[in-house]
Amino acid sequence: MKRSDLIGGVFFLGVGILFAVYSRTVDIGTMEEPGPGFLPFASGILLAVMAAILVGKAFFTESEKGERYFPKPDSWKRVSMVIAALILYNFLLRPLGFILVTFLFVAFLVRCIFPQTWLRSIVTAALSTAGAQLVFARLLEIQFPKGLLGF
Amino acid sequence: MDIVNHLIQGASVAFQPLNLLFCFIGVLMGTLVGVLPGLGPTAAIALLLPVSFHIPPVATIILLAGIYYGAMYGGSTTSILVNMPGEAASVITCLDGYQMAKQGRAGPALGIAAFGSFIAGTLGIVGIIVLAPPMATFALAFGPPEYFSMMLMGIVIIIYMSSGSILKDFMTAVFGLLLGTIGMDTIAGTQRLTFGILELADGVGFVPAVMGLFGISEILINVEQVIATTLVTEKVKNLFPNREDWKESIKPILRGSGLGFLIGVLPGPAPVIATYASYAMEKRLSKTPEKFGSGFIAGVAGPESANNAASSGAMIPLFTLGIPANSVIAVLLGAFMIHGLQPGPMFISKYPDIFWGTIVSMYLGNAMLLVLNLPLIPLWVKVLKVPYPILFPLILIFCLIGVYSLNFSQIEVGLMTAFGVIGYAMRKLKFEMAPLVLALVLGPMMESNLRLSLLLSQGDASVFVTKPISAVFMGMSALLIISAMIPSVRNRRSSFREKLRDDDV
Repeated sequence: MKRSDLIGGVFFLGVGILFAVYSRTVDIGTMEEPGPGFLPFASGILLAVMAAILVGKAFFTESEKGERYFPKPDSWKRVSMVIAALILYNFLLRPLGFILVTFLFVAFLVRCIFPQTWLRSIVTAALSTAGAQLVFARLLEIQFPKGLLGF
Repeated sequence: MDIVNHLIQGASVAFQPLNLLFCFIGVLMGTLVGVLPGLGPTAAIALLLPVSFHIPPVATIILLAGIYYGAMYGGSTTSILVNMPGEAASVITCLDGYQMAKQGRAGPALGIAAFGSFIAGTLGIVGIIVLAPPMATFALAFGPPEYFSMMLMGIVIIIYMSSGSILKDFMTAVFGLLLGTIGMDTIAGTQRLTFGILELADGVGFVPAVMGLFGISEILINVEQVIATTLVTEKVKNLFPNREDWKESIKPILRGSGLGFLIGVLPGPAPVIATYASYAMEKRLSKTPEKFGSGFIAGVAGPESANNAASSGAMIPLFTLGIPANSVIAVLLGAFMIHGLQPGPMFISKYPDIFWGTIVSMYLGNAMLLVLNLPLIPLWVKVLKVPYPILFPLILIFCLIGVYSLNFSQIEVGLMTAFGVIGYAMRKLKFEMAPLVLALVLGPMMESNLRLSLLLSQGDASVFVTKPISAVFMGMSALLIISAMIPSVRNRRSSFREKLRDDDV
């Protein structure tokens, strides 16, 4: 059983069915006059069928020898920490404000992903926050949420 | 003389101070991403898409094209000095380039790579000037059925060229097509598949999708393990290749340029394939094939010229047909659309200033690269010493700010992150990205051409095979799919795939 194809197949099977079902909410039309739902419906079905074939094949195929998902045992930790940081950045942008959340984001990543010294982390975070504020907020005049600090 | 007039017109655009500036910034940034391992031209162009909203269309295209061919120059530096490709099109340069550096000949290796790229770039531009206008005229005869079949063929060729599993690639292509259908319907204007999210009414933003799929996911791959860069030498001298070197290199440069250009015009990850093809060809033609791999200058000159020529060649289908040949060009096409420009057969006659301005700027850019690059090598050496642990948070911040600044929408920031995770998972499960992004860009056009074709033929799907030009495209697609299922071809494709594994473009 080939796990990677099984996971991918099941995911796309779900996506295909979701789109096919959801496209029924708009007009599919006819062959003479295809409506807005025509392509989404047809491709949703097509994707689901192909995904089902992939799942079927995955059951009868051996996994590649020594198939590993991550090059290092702790890789998944770093990857999930980065993803978590990206999600948190978005959630904290409004409550904390652009400057504070940018500083924390960079400091966290430099300090925790491939651990650097505290000094290095804080200097990098401070410089990049100042740079971003200068270029994007001052020069390009982009309005960022102010948040806690009030500026 | 038509061409002379066009070139003068192009020069008047390219020499405007703003455009000169963006050409310069483009080639400089291109070289930078070329030099940096773990950041390819696709990701770099995707990251700069938000910036393009703030500058005029010509300047945008000049900037982004500069990144593409600039990256072809930069990649060689890392291959030669670190034995690690700066981007996928320089993998092969490691073989002889690094050996030359170890023998203390890093200078001539870097020099010949730059001169070869310049010659190839020049020839490539001549090729565009000669080929693009007639190609556009030919494509003028295309109606909706021809367009649909041609786009389908483009996607099929990408699938054929890029991977081991045809089935999985078709799945990603259809997934891209589906993502493209979200939002407003192009013909009736109906809203569909928004899943109740107001922000999706305008469709999945191309920028957040591409930045996530290429930018964020690439970084997620890179944080899995430490990328250590150890330079073989820091002092680079004698950049000018000597008479002997030139004698060994000039033919490979010329052959590489021709071959690369031809491969560039065809759909597929052209610059990468062109380097392999050129290396193989030089080795076969050489009187001393055993020298390849031991620091032979022809092994650097040929491939480095080929990848540059291929990046010029890839501009032809973009400008004349509106069909992206690979994922870098697909993202570039997205930039055209952001500015409301639709490349296609009419493009050159409708926007001569953009087309000829870009062509002339490409020549200027190549000249800038040649003049600037060699003196700047000490700077690139310093850049290579910036540790990745410090670099990647900065790239992420750039992505976050870039997407946010588009519409001040946190939904789009979230979408980018989601696409980053999807892209990462797809890379891990060995699904190709190129078919997805191509289908995402072409999807809306394919849909409207499909529906228009069916409207015109009153529901008769045979219109795609009864019209001769369309039938040729359909036949070629079918041929490719069938041939990919023949076992011997399948094996050759998967062994080629082994070489290209994990490379984008």
